[in-house]
Order: sequence, then C-alpha cells, then structure tokens
Amino acid sequence: MTRRIAGMLREAPSAPRPGRFSAATALPIVFGAAAVTPAYAHSGTGLAGGFESGFSHPITGVDHLLAMVSVGIWGAFLGRPLLYALPVIFPLIMVGGAILGMFSLPMPPLELAIAASVLVLGLCVCLAIQAPAWVACAIVAIFAVFHGYAHGVELPSAADPFGYSVGFVLATGLLHALGISIGVLNALPNGILVTRSFGGAVAVAGAWYLARTLGL
Amino acid sequence: MRGAALPPALLCVALGLGLASARGKTAVLGLAVLVVTASAITLAPVPVSWSDAVFLGCWMSIIASAAIVYAPRTLQDKAALALSLNAGVWTGALIAVAPSKVGLLAALPFSLCAWPAAWARRRGQAIGLEVIASWLIGVAVLAATLQFLPATPGYLPDHMD
Repeated sequence: MTRRIAGMLREAPSAPRPGRFSAATALPIVFGAAAVTPAYAHSGTGLAGGFESGFSHPITGVDHLLAMVSVGIWGAFLGRPLLYALPVIFPLIMVGGAILGMFSLPMPPLELAIAASVLVLGLCVCLAIQAPAWVACAIVAIFAVFHGYAHGVELPSAADPFGYSVGFVLATGLLHALGISIGVLNALPNGILVTRSFGGAVAVAGAWYLARTLGL
Repeated sequence: MRGAALPPALLCVALGLGLASARGKTAVLGLAVLVVTASAITLAPVPVSWSDAVFLGCWMSIIASAAIVYAPRTLQDKAALALSLNAGVWTGALIAVAPSKVGLLAALPFSLCAWPAAWARRRGQAIGLEVIASWLIGVAVLAATLQFLPATPGYLPDHMD
C-alpha cells in the first residue's frame, strides 16, 4: 500500500521537482505558533479576536471547512504539481481577498460565491475532474478571493489582528493538508469511491447552501 | 497589541526556513549573527513611537526571508549573513519596543527550525517548506496592510478605552 501511495504522490505528468509534503517540517511551525500566547490589549472591553478566534473561523464555518478540505482532496486527484500548488496558491490569493475585505471594497454577493465554491469544489471531487493546471488554479484562486474576503472583513475589529491572521491562515492550510490526507485514500481499494462520495456529499451541501442563499 | 512574541517568533521561523537554503556552516553562523544582533538591539533605547516602522520592517523581513525558500539555488554566504543581520535587527527592535524583554527568549528558539528545514530540503521535500513559506508571506502581507487601514485596528485605543 505504501508503494501505491508513493506512486500516487509521484504521479505527475509535469512535476517540476521531486519531493513530498513533510509533516515533520510543518509540525514545529504549527505547534510553535500555537504555543506563543497572543496578548489582548482590549481585555475587558468586550472586543474579541486573536489567534484562537482566527483559527476557529475557518473550522467552525462549515461552508469554509468543506471548501478548504475539498481543495486538498481535489489536489490529490489532480496529482503533482497541483497537489502542492493549490495549497500554496489558495492562502496567497486568499490574503488578497482578505485585503479587499479589510478595506470593505465592494464585492459580488459573498454568501452566494462561497456557497457556489462549496458546490463547484464538491463536484470537482465527486466527478474527479482532471482539469488543466491553469483551470484548476483559476477556479481555486477565484474562490480563494471570496473566502479571504469573508475572513478579512472581521480582521480589523479583532483585538489582536495579527494573531487572528496567523490563526485563519494556519487553519486554512491545515484544512488543505487534511484534504490531501483524505485524498491518500485514493490509493486504497475502493478508496476512490469513498473520496468521490465525500465530494458528492460536499456538492449536496453546497447546493443546499446555494438554495438557501437564493431563498429557494 | 500586535501579538506580543508572535511577530518576532514568525520572523525567526522565516529566517530559519531561508537559512535552510544556505550551506550548513553559513546557516550556523547566520543563527549566531541573529542571536547576537537581536540581543544587542533589544538593549538599545528604541523609542516606542517607532513601533509602526519597526513592525513594518518585521513584516517586510518575514516576506523577504520566506521568499528565499522559493529560490532554486543555494543561498550565497553573504546574502545569508545579511538576511540574518536584518532579522536580528528587527527581532531586537520588536522586543525593544515591547513592554517585556522575555519575548526574545521565546522567539529566538524558533530560528532552530533551520535544521529540520535543511534536512527536509536535502531529502527533496522543499515543497513542504514552500507551503509553510506561503503561509508566512500571507500573514505578513495581511499584517503590513493592517497598518494602512482606514478603520481603527483592534490593537489601538478606541472609544471603548
């Protein structure tokens, strides 16, 4: 099975460089960031928001969570280099969206776009769509803007905006890593059935979000 | 407040990831430069009114240090030492404007991530470092933008204070 997993990770028609994501390299950063205690200048004023708040934002919002995990699983279906390119592109573009949100710049209906992202990314996983690299990057980048915007609008009012930023970027990255980990199931017998079923469930949830947003 | 020890800690992490691209001895020397410079600047009388400039320098340094991870070549010795010196200056300045100096002890150990990062790079797993570097760059860009925000950021006194 190890060979099959390794084979899946190597499966890359145009892989630019060898290598795999290393949990060993990520763990010190993850635990380190969590270990440093953020300060609260507004304690007592009722103003919330710091690392914990930012970290929990993508996780407690089910629509965010499903979209982020789906990005990771879809990356696993697409293989290298997109397996790793998508988790790099998403946070960087998401930051651009967050900046738009911080300045409250006008955007198309946010909830609609986020619901659509859950639907589309769920379908991409469910149908195991082998999109060209630029199409996959474009889809993920467009949705990253909207997800970033949703985080960004809450950022300025946080008591510790920096801690909030670290929290939500880290949580987003870890959800991608979770998605990639789930995508490893593809190497198991019937594993693809499990991951594609998960994608189907995400798509159904996205359709429900979309219908609710449209008031249907 | 802007996260107490978190900004210098992330700067040290970014430097550690960047130094992983350098030769082993240069990386060790770079870490020594970081410790010495940061310790010296921490004791310097940096005016608190310079906070905004100091934090902006920190964000820019995080971006520069993390961006080194994407360079395909080995980091030149002089560049690595310059990067360490720069990180040391801003780390020390951040601690100097902070109410407590203890943050330095919390932040500096994070630069030791250079060792696992160099190990990962040698094993051809640089892509993991690139993912982490993208997170660091993202956070630094957000934090830098926050300083130019027209709305009152949460760390500044407002009508509730």
